Amino acid sequence: MRSLYAHVPFCFHKCHYCDFYSFVDNADRQGPFTEALALELGALARWERDGGFDPGLDTLFVGGGTPTLLALEHWERLGEALHGAYAITPDTEFSVECNPETATPELMALLASIGVNRLSVGAQSFHPQHLKTLERWHDPDNVERALDLAREAGIRRVSLDLIYAIPGQTLAEWEADLARAIAIGTGHVSAYALTYEPNTAMTVRLKQGKFEATDEDLEATMFERTIEVLGAAGLERYEVSNFAASDPATGGPCRHNMAYWRQEQWHAAGPSASAHVGGQRWKNAPRLTDWMRSIHETDGGSPITDHEGVDPSRALAERIMTGLRLAEGLDASEMLTRAESLGRTAALEAAAHRAQEHGHLSFDDNRWRLTDTGLLFADGVSADLMSALD
Amino acid sequence: MHIRNFSIIAHIDHGKSTLSDRLLQSTNAVSARESREQFLDSMDLERERGITIKASAVTVFHVHKGEQYMLNFIDTPGHVDFSYEVSRALTACEGAVLVVDSTQGVEAQTVANAYLAVNNDLEIITCVNKIDLPAAQPDEVAMEIEQILGFPAEDCIPCSAKTGEGLPELIEAICERLPPPRAAKMPECRALIFDSHYDDYRGVIIYIRVFDGELKHGDKIRMMGTGRTYTVTELGKYTPKPVKVKSLGPGETGYLVAAIKTLQDVRVGDTITSDLRPASEPLPGYEEPMQMVFCDFFPSTSGDGRGSQFEDLREAMAKLALNDASFTYAPVHSEALGFGFRCGFLGLLHMDIIQERLEREGGVEVIQTAPTVTYQLLTTAGEELEIQNPAELPDPSIWKELREPIVRVEVIVPKEFVGDIMTLCLSRRGEFRAQLAISETRQMLTYEIPMAEIIYDFYDKLKSMTRGYATMDYEVIGYKTDRLVKVDIMINGDPLEALSFISHKDTADKRGRSLLIRLKKEIARHQFEIPLQAMIGGKIIARESIKSMRKNVTAKCYGGDISRKKKLLDKQKKGKKKMKSIGSVEIPQQAFMAVLDQGE
Ligand SMILES: Nc1nc2c(ncn2[C@@H]2O[C@H](COP(=O)(O)OP(=O)(O)O)[C@@H](O)[C@H]2O)c(=O)[nH]1
Ligand code: SF4
Repeated sequence: MRSLYAHVPFCFHKCHYCDFYSFVDNADRQGPFTEALALELGALARWERDGGFDPGLDTLFVGGGTPTLLALEHWERLGEALHGAYAITPDTEFSVECNPETATPELMALLASIGVNRLSVGAQSFHPQHLKTLERWHDPDNVERALDLAREAGIRRVSLDLIYAIPGQTLAEWEADLARAIAIGTGHVSAYALTYEPNTAMTVRLKQGKFEATDEDLEATMFERTIEVLGAAGLERYEVSNFAASDPATGGPCRHNMAYWRQEQWHAAGPSASAHVGGQRWKNAPRLTDWMRSIHETDGGSPITDHEGVDPSRALAERIMTGLRLAEGLDASEMLTRAESLGRTAALEAAAHRAQEHGHLSFDDNRWRLTDTGLLFADGVSADLMSALD
Repeated sequence: MHIRNFSIIAHIDHGKSTLSDRLLQSTNAVSARESREQFLDSMDLERERGITIKASAVTVFHVHKGEQYMLNFIDTPGHVDFSYEVSRALTACEGAVLVVDSTQGVEAQTVANAYLAVNNDLEIITCVNKIDLPAAQPDEVAMEIEQILGFPAEDCIPCSAKTGEGLPELIEAICERLPPPRAAKMPECRALIFDSHYDDYRGVIIYIRVFDGELKHGDKIRMMGTGRTYTVTELGKYTPKPVKVKSLGPGETGYLVAAIKTLQDVRVGDTITSDLRPASEPLPGYEEPMQMVFCDFFPSTSGDGRGSQFEDLREAMAKLALNDASFTYAPVHSEALGFGFRCGFLGLLHMDIIQERLEREGGVEVIQTAPTVTYQLLTTAGEELEIQNPAELPDPSIWKELREPIVRVEVIVPKEFVGDIMTLCLSRRGEFRAQLAISETRQMLTYEIPMAEIIYDFYDKLKSMTRGYATMDYEVIGYKTDRLVKVDIMINGDPLEALSFISHKDTADKRGRSLLIRLKKEIARHQFEIPLQAMIGGKIIARESIKSMRKNVTAKCYGGDISRKKKLLDKQKKGKKKMKSIGSVEIPQQAFMAVLDQGE
C-alpha cells in the first residue's frame, strides 16, 4: 500500500507568503494539464503493476496550488483517471485542498462521488486586515460556508489551515481566530507560524523594511496558547503544527502527512510533486510546460530534479527530524539499530541523553518524545541528534 | 650608455599604472598585447584592489638625440601602509615623475609622495595627466603643484597616458633633466636591496640597485645586515621579460636569484657586498619596517586543543610570510578563543589583504579580533613595555604612563567640507596643526590624532561626509600619553579579552555601552539569558542582556519535499561552525568587530 500526491499548480492569485509551485494561469491550460496528469497517473500505475505492487492506495492527497480551481469537467476527468489507475476504496484517505472561495455544492458533490472524504480548507485568518497583509484573497465568511457545503455533500472530515505571527497581529486576535475555528466545528487544524521563505514577496517586503516581523516572544506565546486552546477543545496536537479531534469519522490525524513523517512510500504526480519510493527521493520538474511536454513525449514520464539515491545515513537523519516533531515520537531501539550500520549508535545515544538532561526529550515505553519545552526547541534537538550521525 | 633610475609617484587613480604602461610602449619595450595588462602590478589580489603592493623594476632602452639610454623604472606601492617600501624604492632612484590628475588636482597622497621624494634628494619631474578629458584643467593644476609643493608650473608637462600626447616630452625630460647615477665611491661591491618577492620556481627574487663595484653571476655574496652568505645563481633585468645578464655595474638595477628560501631571510634596505672582498660599511639607512596594527587570528571552528585547525592556520601563515616580509606572526593563547596567532601589519589595508589571502589561498576560515595599535606602558618600576593587545596590560596599579601612537593626518577637501572635517577630527581627539589653501576651492588640513582613533572607520567617515571628495594620508610621528583606561567585557560572567579595549577616560562609558548594544545585536538568543557587562578595573560601567531564546522550531515541515528542510538544518549546523564558543555562548565573527564601534 502506498500513498499518492498529485499537484495542481493553479491559483487565482498568488499569496505573498507562498513558495509552493503555483501561479495564475492566464493561458487557460486546465484541460491540457488534466490530460497530462491522467497520462502520468496511468504510467505510474503501469509501473507499479509491472513491479508487482498492490494497486491499493492507503492515502491520496490532491494539493496545490488550488485544486478546487479546476472546473467540474476536469475534476470528472481526474476522477476517472485516478480510479482507472488505482484501487481507491472508502478506506483510502482521499484529501483535497480547497480555497473557500471556490467551494460550490456541485463541486462538493462531485468530489464526494469520486471518493473524496477529507477536505482541507485554507482559512489562514478570520481578520480581513491580516489576510490583506498576506495578500491572501478570500472572504473569511466563506470559510464556514465551504465547510458546511462539504459536510452536506458527505465529506465528513474537514480541516482548517491557520497562520499566526502575522505582522501586526495581536495575541487576542489570534485567540479569536482559534475560537472561531473551534466554533465552526472542524475536526482538524493546521496552525503555522508565518515563515518567511526565501524568494517570496513577503520576505522581500520584510527585507525592504516595509514591516517588522513578529517578536520572538510573542510568537512563542502564540504557539503555546494554540496548544492550550485547541487542546481544551479536544483538538490534540499530534505534530508540531497539527491538531486533530479523536473521532476518526470527523477528525483524526491526516494519515497522508503521517506517511510522510513516518517515512513511508509515496508516488508523485504533477509538476513539482515529490516522491519517496524504495529509499529514493525525487521531485517532478517544477515547470508546467516542461512537465507537459515530457509527459506527452514519453507517454507519461515526468522530468525529475533533486534525485537522491538510497542513503541510510540521510534516511535516518530525516526520520529523526520528522519523527521528533510527532507526539508519538520515535522508537528508540529502532533508531539505535539503524545507527548501528553507520557505527553511530553510541553517539546517537549520547546525543539523546544530553537532550534528556536538558529536559528536551523524554524516554518512556522505549520512545523518544519531545517534552513541552523540547517542542519549542525542536530544530535544535533534531540538529543535535542528526549531528551525531556524521 | 646613459643610465636613468626613476620612479613614478602619484595619488591613487591618477594614472600611474597607465602611464608606466604607455612609457614602456613608447620605448617599444612591450607589445600591445602584453601592455593590455598593467603588468607592473603582479598579484591578482592587488589588481582587484587596484593597488600595487610589491615594487618591481623594469629596464628599457631608448635612443635620445643619437645616444643610448638605459631607463630603469622602479615601481612603487601606491598606498600609505607601504610608505616604508615606497621610500626604499625611492632610495634606488635619482629621480621621480610626479603624476597629478589634471581633472582632480593635488591630493593627499600626492603631497605625501612628493615629500618622500624630496626627502630622498630626488630630482622631480612634474606632469599633469589625463589632459584628453574635457574636465582637464592642466594650467590650474600646474599652479596648484607650484603653490603647494614648490615645483615651477612652467616645468610641468601636460600629458595623456591614454592618447600618448606629451609622452615624447616626458621621455625627453627623463633623459635630460634627471641626473645620472652617482659615480662609484669604492671598488668593492655595494648593492641596495629595494624589494623582494617570492617565486614558486626560483625561490626568493631580490631587486637590487648597484651603487659601487660590480656584481657578477657566480659571485659569493654577503648581506651586510644579516651576515648571511649566498652564491648568485642568476642575475638579470626585466625588460619587462626577464633577461639574464652576466653582471650589473654601478648605477644599474636588476634582479638577483641566489637559492634563498624564504623572504624572512632578506631585509629590504639591506646592502649586498662581496663575501671575498666586502665593503667596509653598508649603504646608509636600513630600518626595520614597523608594524603598527595588530590583531589576532584564531581558527574559526571551536575546539580547545591545538587541533589540526591550528596547524592549518600555522601553515597558511608561514606560506604568506614567505612572500610578505613585512607581516609578522607569533602564536598566542586566549582563555576564551584557544590557540591562534598575533599578527602585525604595516597598516589597515595590509591587514585586510592578509586576512583575505589567508582565507582565499590558505583555505582556512578565521576569526579575527578587532585591530589595535601598539601602546607603550611605563610601569612604576620604570620598565617600558610594548603593548600590542589590551589584554596584555598589567593591573593599572603599576601603570605610570600609558602612551599611544600619534599620527599626523593630512586631509585635502573642498572648502565647504572644512567645518565637518574639523568636527570629525575634534571628536577623535585630534589636535589642529595647520590649514592651507591649495586652490580657490580646496584646503589642506593637518591634524595630529591618536592612531587608535583613525584605525577603523575614520577614512570611511571622511569619504562619506565629503561625498567622496576628501583624500587623506597619515604618518606615525611618535607616542604621547593621555588619560587612557582599559575597558573589559564580560559575557555571561566570563571575561572575553579579545573584546577588551583601551579608550580615553571621557569616552569610555559611551564606547562601552555602544559595544554592548552592538554585541546584543550580533549574538543570537540562546536558551538562557546572557548578561553583558563592560567594566573598568572591576567597576561596571555599562550592562545589557540578551534575552533567552523562546523558540526554535520550524513551523511547517513540508512532508513530501523533505530534502529542502534538511538542507536548512544542514545550513544551520554549518553556521555554528563559524562561531566561537565562550563558555556556552556562541559568538559570531562580527561580534569581535563590535569593539571598533566608536559610539558616535
Ligand atoms: N582619459 C584618461 N584616463 C586615464 C588616463 N590615465 C589613466 N586613466 C584612467 O584613470 C584610471 C586610473 O588609472 P591607473 O593607471 O590605474 O591609476 P593608478 O592608481 O595611479 O595606477 C584608469 O581607469 C585609467 O584608465 C588618461 O590620460 N586619460
Ligand atoms: S492559494 Fe495556496 S498555493 Fe495558491 S498562492 Fe496562496 S498559498 Fe500559494
